[in-house]
Amino acid sequence: MPKEHPISVRVTLLLLLLLLAIGFAAEPRRVSVYAPQTNYQVDILVRDGVDYVGITDLLEPLGRLESHLEGKKLILVFNGGAAEFQEGKRQYRTRSNNKLELVSNFLLVDGRGYIPAASITQLLSSIAGQSAEFHAGPRRLFIGSTQFHYSAELRRAPSRLVLSFPTPVNPSSLIERNRVRLLFHREAVVSNGADNVSYGDPFLASTSFTEIPGGAEFIANILQPATVSISDGGHTVTIAAVPSPTPVPIAPAAPTAGQAANQARPTVPAPRSRPFVILDAAHGGYETGAVLSPTLLEKNVNLALARRLQKELDARGIPVVLTRVADNLLTWDQRAVSANTSHASLYVAIHASGSGHGVRVYTSMVGAPQAGQSKRSFMPWELAQWPYLEQSGMAAAALVVECTASGLPVRSSAAPLRPLNSITVAAIAVEVAPQGNSPDELGSAEYQQKIAAALASGIASLRGKLEVAQ
Amino acid sequence: MISRKLQYAVAALVLAILAMGFYLVHLKRKAETISAGPVTQALTAPVIGPAAQMTLYLASDEDNSLRPNTISSALPSDPGERGRLALHTLVARYLQTGSPHPLGTGADVHDVYLLDPASAVVNLNAAFANTHRSGIEVEQLTIFSMVLTLKAQLPQLTRVRFLVDGKSRDTLAGHIDLAGWLDVAMVAEASKSLQ
Repeated sequence: MPKEHPISVRVTLLLLLLLLAIGFAAEPRRVSVYAPQTNYQVDILVRDGVDYVGITDLLEPLGRLESHLEGKKLILVFNGGAAEFQEGKRQYRTRSNNKLELVSNFLLVDGRGYIPAASITQLLSSIAGQSAEFHAGPRRLFIGSTQFHYSAELRRAPSRLVLSFPTPVNPSSLIERNRVRLLFHREAVVSNGADNVSYGDPFLASTSFTEIPGGAEFIANILQPATVSISDGGHTVTIAAVPSPTPVPIAPAAPTAGQAANQARPTVPAPRSRPFVILDAAHGGYETGAVLSPTLLEKNVNLALARRLQKELDARGIPVVLTRVADNLLTWDQRAVSANTSHASLYVAIHASGSGHGVRVYTSMVGAPQAGQSKRSFMPWELAQWPYLEQSGMAAAALVVECTASGLPVRSSAAPLRPLNSITVAAIAVEVAPQGNSPDELGSAEYQQKIAAALASGIASLRGKLEVAQ
Repeated sequence: MISRKLQYAVAALVLAILAMGFYLVHLKRKAETISAGPVTQALTAPVIGPAAQMTLYLASDEDNSLRPNTISSALPSDPGERGRLALHTLVARYLQTGSPHPLGTGADVHDVYLLDPASAVVNLNAAFANTHRSGIEVEQLTIFSMVLTLKAQLPQLTRVRFLVDGKSRDTLAGHIDLAGWLDVAMVAEASKSLQ
């Protein structure tokens, strides 16, 4: 007769099985939101087979949000608009007393309001007057006109597929035996109307584009080995055939030694264009930075400002790279390594503060190394900025001049700030504060644009000077 | 059949558990009564010594400045004690109602240690860092005002290190680097734009 296990053992085993089942359950479902200010993700709560999203999670990064709970009623005030929801009811009222209906009942869970994901666009339009487009399958929400299309062109001699984008992209590329996959995790790229294209080319058989949860995927089915390169400041992605090693034709006349060396060298793909500036939106993820107002976090303002500055620099033809383009946290060392390996000429960290007014520009307060060490000596990680202090000072001065010219209060000083000490190019940190007394000004597109334009002019004035100094 | 002795032992144990439970509740209530009372904290230590000039570098959020402010105070002869008194006085100013550079409730300086005449370690309490406002300039003003105030009392000082509850901390409130030594001369130089 088999030995009976005691009840406690059976209960423990059951609990373990339950935990394993939960652990191996499907990955958490999220809505990816692409907004002009920032990109972020909102968790989905599934109730009775319907996908719900938290109103606060959805609206907080987009502007000023206040919500009051009165019994089973939730009153929401957002960017001047308002709405009143009732738990368990589909109908809700807006400030203009319009009665609208959600696709299923409004939920209140632990004092937090949830609406069906399928009603997001209606809600944004009714209370904030914001147009939005929700792609239910891949769970991607585009607010305003953030989504953009791409164009693809097959060029020959050498064979290459050139993808052009209206805004900079930085997809992950996976090169497999017979295909190249480009994954767009952060970019709001959408279909251009031709999702599957057959080329029938000796290099490229076909391509396909699909929106997937959390992004989009472009697949090129190739017939020869290929490389992927990003150029034109992120506006162009090229999938090119790797040239086969053909013998170098013999020149009729005897070449010089230098020419011979050049001809014998195998063809290599053109190097990626070197960025002039690397923009680092400080903080991110759980590290929010300063809480500027109940609805405005420093990390979001930093990213929004970095994006505006990127656009301004792009417009001036200045190649730029961002350390982060989403709400993720990087360590100081990761930021420094990004800057040092990008071979940019200038690193700019972007911060925001509710205290004080205008713009502050900081350089590193790194100490001089031991006596006898020259700028060419090997520097410890925490003193790596020392040889570049003069260039950093030059960069800070240029930004001060342009901010002053734009009528922004501005000041410059040195401060012990990370990761400035470990950057091996000209490095500055910029902290923006409101012009008036309200920190909410930092969330204003107009004010951000004014600052971005002034900073971009300052950075543009450094072009040529910093490269010469390097 | 359970023996009589075992029954007595179990009964005694149950009584002991009940008694300990009551005592625990009593202790908890007593502790709550004590913590609910008004917190009395001497922000500046009483000092016996000759009156002398003490320079405090006061930060102001109004114009984001650092300005020297000289007061008369009895100063101890021990340099470490003098530094501690100066920082206590500075923090007390910042904690006053209507302060031009307010610190969070409960902010305090535990101690100032002099490793040698040139090196000081300032040990802040956790509330100082945890309740400090976040931002480069606002954190810079606090740290620079403390370094310059210390330097005014200890002229030989060349470097200062900040700890929080005796432990190293990366930043004060997310921005200003507290992980290493601060060079007093560099702080003084950088402060010129704030004065």
